Parts: sequence; structure tokens; C-alpha cells
Amino acid sequence: MNKKFFRIFSLLLVASMLLAACGSPAASGDNVLRVWIQWGDNPQQIQELFDKYTAETGIKVEVTAPIGDDKILPALTGSNPPDVLVLSGGDLAKSFYKEGLVDELSGAIKTGNIDMGDMFEAPLSQCMQNDLILCLPWGTDAYALFWNKDLFEAAGLDPETPPATMEELVDFAEKLTVVDSNGKIQQIGFIPDHSWSHTDLYVRNFGGFWYSDDGSQLTANSQPMIDALTWQQQFYTEYGVENIQSFASGFGEYGSPDAPFYAGKVAMMVEGEWQTGPNFIPALKPELNYGVAPFPPPADHPERAGTIVNQGTAVVIPSAAKDKEASAKLLAWMMSPAIVAEEFCFNANLPTSRKAAEDPCFKELGTKFQVFVDLMSSPNAYAVLTTPLSFELNDALAAAEEKILYTGADPKTELDAVQANFEAKFIELNK
Amino acid sequence: MDDPASTERKFFGIKLPPKVVWTKRTKADLRTGLLFLSPWLIGFLLFTLYPMVVSFYYSFTIYHSKRTPDWVGLQNYKDLLTDEKFWISLNNTMYMVAIAVPLGLLASFLCALLLNLKVRGQAFYRVVYFLPSIVPTVAGTILFLWLLNPQVGLVNTLLAQIGIQGPNWMADPNWSKPALILLGMWGMGGTIIIYLSGLQDVPVSLIEAAELDGANWFQRLWHITIPMVSPITLFNLITGMIGMFQYFAQAYIVGGGDSLGRPLNSTLFYSVYLYQNAFLFLKMGYASAMAWILFVIILIFTLLLLKVSDRFTYYAG
Repeated sequence: MNKKFFRIFSLLLVASMLLAACGSPAASGDNVLRVWIQWGDNPQQIQELFDKYTAETGIKVEVTAPIGDDKILPALTGSNPPDVLVLSGGDLAKSFYKEGLVDELSGAIKTGNIDMGDMFEAPLSQCMQNDLILCLPWGTDAYALFWNKDLFEAAGLDPETPPATMEELVDFAEKLTVVDSNGKIQQIGFIPDHSWSHTDLYVRNFGGFWYSDDGSQLTANSQPMIDALTWQQQFYTEYGVENIQSFASGFGEYGSPDAPFYAGKVAMMVEGEWQTGPNFIPALKPELNYGVAPFPPPADHPERAGTIVNQGTAVVIPSAAKDKEASAKLLAWMMSPAIVAEEFCFNANLPTSRKAAEDPCFKELGTKFQVFVDLMSSPNAYAVLTTPLSFELNDALAAAEEKILYTGADPKTELDAVQANFEAKFIELNK
Repeated sequence: MDDPASTERKFFGIKLPPKVVWTKRTKADLRTGLLFLSPWLIGFLLFTLYPMVVSFYYSFTIYHSKRTPDWVGLQNYKDLLTDEKFWISLNNTMYMVAIAVPLGLLASFLCALLLNLKVRGQAFYRVVYFLPSIVPTVAGTILFLWLLNPQVGLVNTLLAQIGIQGPNWMADPNWSKPALILLGMWGMGGTIIIYLSGLQDVPVSLIEAAELDGANWFQRLWHITIPMVSPITLFNLITGMIGMFQYFAQAYIVGGGDSLGRPLNSTLFYSVYLYQNAFLFLKMGYASAMAWILFVIILIFTLLLLKVSDRFTYYAG
């Protein structure tokens, strides 16, 4: 009797464990759509935004933001992916499409009646692969030159006039750098890769990119690439790598009141539009006396003025999403100008919809933010070109950049090596 | 033919237990036994054996995620041999195994010796030395990043007090690995505890006898204590080595996702590069091949250690 009981009990135990292991995580009801967002500083605000969709349609939307990189791939390959996935860039969308993990969106665009003409070309180009639309840009970022007017004045420069050319920027940087009697840097004019790499912006100003414009060729060792890295390298050669790194290691946290530009340790920086928004400078250092202008072109190419390189979110629909029509409709709602304006005004990021950009809420973000909104319509607005190979290539380019800037390696030699390493893979990819 | 009188069975010279006579009772016992084991067995089959077998298959394919894997034979292994980053990552890992593991063993043995001294506040010191190992890896690593901050960190500030200009630690490719080793040694409480228990098993009678014979402190340590804890050293060496071959979390946190391996690939460890291939470059087949190479490397090192351990390990009783 006891033995029998024990057997039944243990069988039940094992069975229930197996069931628990196999059951779908967070079984969702019928009328629930799941949205995953790779970034997300403010999950509650995003959930509240999507609650409006529920109010309009009765369909509940469950938002998970931010979602870890390691969760996305298993979900896309499994049978229960989110209905809409917002990635932080177009490169992943392309890798995923190549693997059959996300849908081409023409069908969804038709179903949702999305107005493609309303979208700025540059951010959209991040999602295009020839004629295929692999994602839609929801919001985007652009970079411009920030300068500290007080430090300009102290260095004897006109506080209202930022450098007009890349050459002048180098000149200004020198005037704005203060070194003490021990040779230690006390204040620096400009660090080209602060707070991260901006080679994409510089290389566009030198007239190229690491892919050809149609994405069909790898141009990692083209002259514009060499120029862009040589231009950056001179700052490190001038002041010494160790000196700059030691100075930079004492910088306050990004997004804290002690951040180096706020604290007057860095006089000029390349930064994004969000810095002018309510979560950054106005909140962290309201008294900061600074200006924002488009990053200047090289002296011999004034026609490249107003160059920006957009990089932003990419919305995709997973191939394994259960109800494609529901996904398409939610996507269309997300892309509508009113929602784009609401979401990106709140976060002070750039809208990808022209109509949304007209929304007065962006004007309310101030004239400095408006510099970026105006740049969206610049004839020199580009986006970071991406291919399914982007992740691996960007990693190699970042390593090359590190070597060039921090060890004084020859730009051409390093870029030639990257080109040689990836050329075959690139040809294979385009077959 | 087997000698029917002898029940002894051998397999490659190893004595096997006597042959089981399958009665109803033993069969029932086996069932019960398996049933008891089943949670573990099922877990092992599903979550260890199956992934291992499948990854072995993937290592011979080009496989990204969803598409059917394409069989390419030994291509992944051949590509790895010419992959510069593979060798860099292996080198970095070997550096840690060769330096961090012995250094950690030595330091934890010395700490254990000190903590074994019968002094006032012994329990307090033991707690203090063990405490860091219960700090979560993420918290500990971030804490160390602050301590080792070249400008405002405590370490360089103290060094400056005695006139030494501290290095740029994590920003300097020559110092990033030593910084990680320091971090590892801070959390060696677990190893210390194992050593401490080993030290308490060293027979007092032997030490007393040596004392009577006029052996000094160092001679007692060298001729009695160290040989008596040698099995513990072997255990700590093997587990430490395996752990170091798989070194990942701290390097991942320091790299912060986007800049894994920085600066200048000096913290690109084997597992970090494996992760990068699998989850960032979506090269699952390539990553599987890397995993199997690591498995073989660890296996060889472990077997080698076990083989040479006969010479320096003493099992009392």
C-alpha cells in the first residue's frame, strides 16, 4: 500500500515538474499583444503609452523594456516570440532577416496602411536592403557639436562662434586645452571618441563610409576612412595617449552632474539630441552656458555642412508572431505621427515622421533641440549603413580604431587588415 | 573460459563489483532507485547531455539560429586555427590560468595558515576574509572598477600618498589582466575555507613529534603541513583551473556589452569570444566548435594534472 502510494506520488511529482518545465512562460490570454523593446529607460512610461492602444481598441498590450540581448534570439527562434519587437538598430534587423527570424514588412505596411512618404529617408534607409523593408524606424538619434561658451571666453575665443571647419576645430581644441606645470591635462578642448566612437560622422564629413552607398561594397580602407581616423589620431598624438586616458579616467559618470562636459573638463564634444532634453543638461546642469551647432565640414568641402548620421530604433515583426494582422495594426499605430511625437517628445529623441516633427511639442524642447530637428531635413542627412555582417565588422573596426588612437598604429595598415579580413565574407554575403 | 569459482570481474584491470543476480527484488530496487534519481537524470539528459550532443553536431555546420544547419565538416575548426582573435582569447585565458590560479592558491593557503592561528578574534578574522566571496560578482566587479579608477580610485590615491603614480588599470592593456587577478584574489574566501578545513585535519601528533625532534616552524610546514593538505591543493588547483578556463562574468561586466575585450583585446577571454560569436555575430556553429575545443583543452589539462599529481599528492590512510 505504502509502496504504491510512493510510486504514484513520485510519478506525479516528476510529471508535474515536466509540465512546469514545458508550459509556456507567462501564458498570455487571447487578446494580449506583447511588445519587447531593447532599450527603455522608463518602462512605466512606455507601458502607459501602449495602454492608449488598449483604450482605443480593447486589445491589451504587454510591454517588456528593456529586454536583454540574450533573451531576444531564443524568443525569435522559439514558438512564442513577441508580437512586435523594437531593436536598437537596423543592423540586427538585417541579421535576423537573413536567418528568417523576422518578416519583410511590405505586407504589414499595406495591412496597416502606413504612410511611407511621411518618413525621413535617412533613418528609413537603415531598414532597407535593396527594395526590401526589413524594419521601420520609430525614433532616431543624431549628433552635433556642443561647446562650452564660458570656456571659449576664457580661452579668448568668441563664445557665440563654434568652429566652422574641422581644421578650425583642431585649432580651437588646442586653445581650449589647459596643461599644468607637470604636463598633466587640466582641461581638454576635444576628445574625438568621447563618450564613444563618432567615426561614422567624421567619415561622412570626409566624403565616404565603410560601405559603398548602396551597401554592395566594403570600403573599410577607403580614403575617407583613412582621413577620418588620421584626423582623430592627431588629438591623441598631440597630448599623449596616457595623459588623455589618465585625465579621462577621472571623468564623472555619463548622465550625472559630474559628466566632463558639464563639469567644464571638456570644452567641445560630439553628442546627441537627448542632451538638450529635460533628462540631461536642463536637469543635471541647468546653469551650463553652452551652444549646439551642426558638426563642421572639412575646409575644402563646405558643401558637406549639416552632415548627420542617424542611428536609431528599428521595429520588426518576428516571423513566428502568432497574429500577423494584429502585429501589423499595432505597428501602424506605433508609426502614426501622433504616437511618434508623444513618445519622442517625452524622451527628447528625434522623430522619424515628418508630420510628427511639426508637432509643437518638439518646439517646446527649445532652440537647441530644434538644431537637431532641422538637421533631419538636411541634404547631408545619412544613416549608419548596415548589413547582416555589421556586428562582426563593427567589432573589428572598433578594435582597429582602438589600436590607431591608443597605440599610434598606422590608420592605413589597420584598415587594410580589416578590409582584407572581411572582403571575402562580404562577397559571400552578397552572393 | 572464466573460472567459475572466481566471482572477481575485471575491466581493463579495474576490479568490478560482483555480478548482480536479477531477482524480482533487485529489479524493484533498481526502479525505485531510478525513480529517486529521475529529477537529476531527466535534468542531465535534457539540459546537459542533449545540448552537448547537439553542439557537437553544430560544430561541424554553419548554423546561425533558425535555418537548418549546413554541414561543412571541419571548416569551423580550420577557420579557428587562422582566426587571430581565437588565439588572442586563448592566450589571455592561458595567462589567467598560469598566473591567477597559482597566485590565488598560494595567497589563500597563506591566509588559511594565518586564520588557523589560535589568536584572539580568530572567528572575526575568518568572517572578514570570507565576506568578499558572498558579494555578488556583479557588485564586486563594479566596486573594483571604482577602487581601481586611475584618477579618483582608492588604490591610486593610496599609491600617490607613497609617491607612486598608479597605472591606468582597466584602461591600460598591460594592467587590465592584473586588475582582474586582484579582483579574483579578493573573492578567494571559498578556497580559504577549504584549506582551513584541510589544515585542521593535519594530525597534531605528527606536528608534536616533529617539534620534539627539533623541527622549526618552517620545517614543520614544509615536511608535514604542505604534504598533508596536498589533496586539497590538488582539488583547489583543478577546480580553480577549470573555473579560470571558463572566465567570463567579470570580463563581461568590465566590457559592458558593447566593448567586450577592451582595451585592445586584453580582456578578450576564451568564453567572452565564444559568447560574442554565438550571441552577437550569430555564429552558433563556430561558437560550438570553440566550446568543444575548450572542453578538450580542459580535459587534457585535468588529466595531466591528475597524472602528475601522484608525485606531489599524499593521501594519508
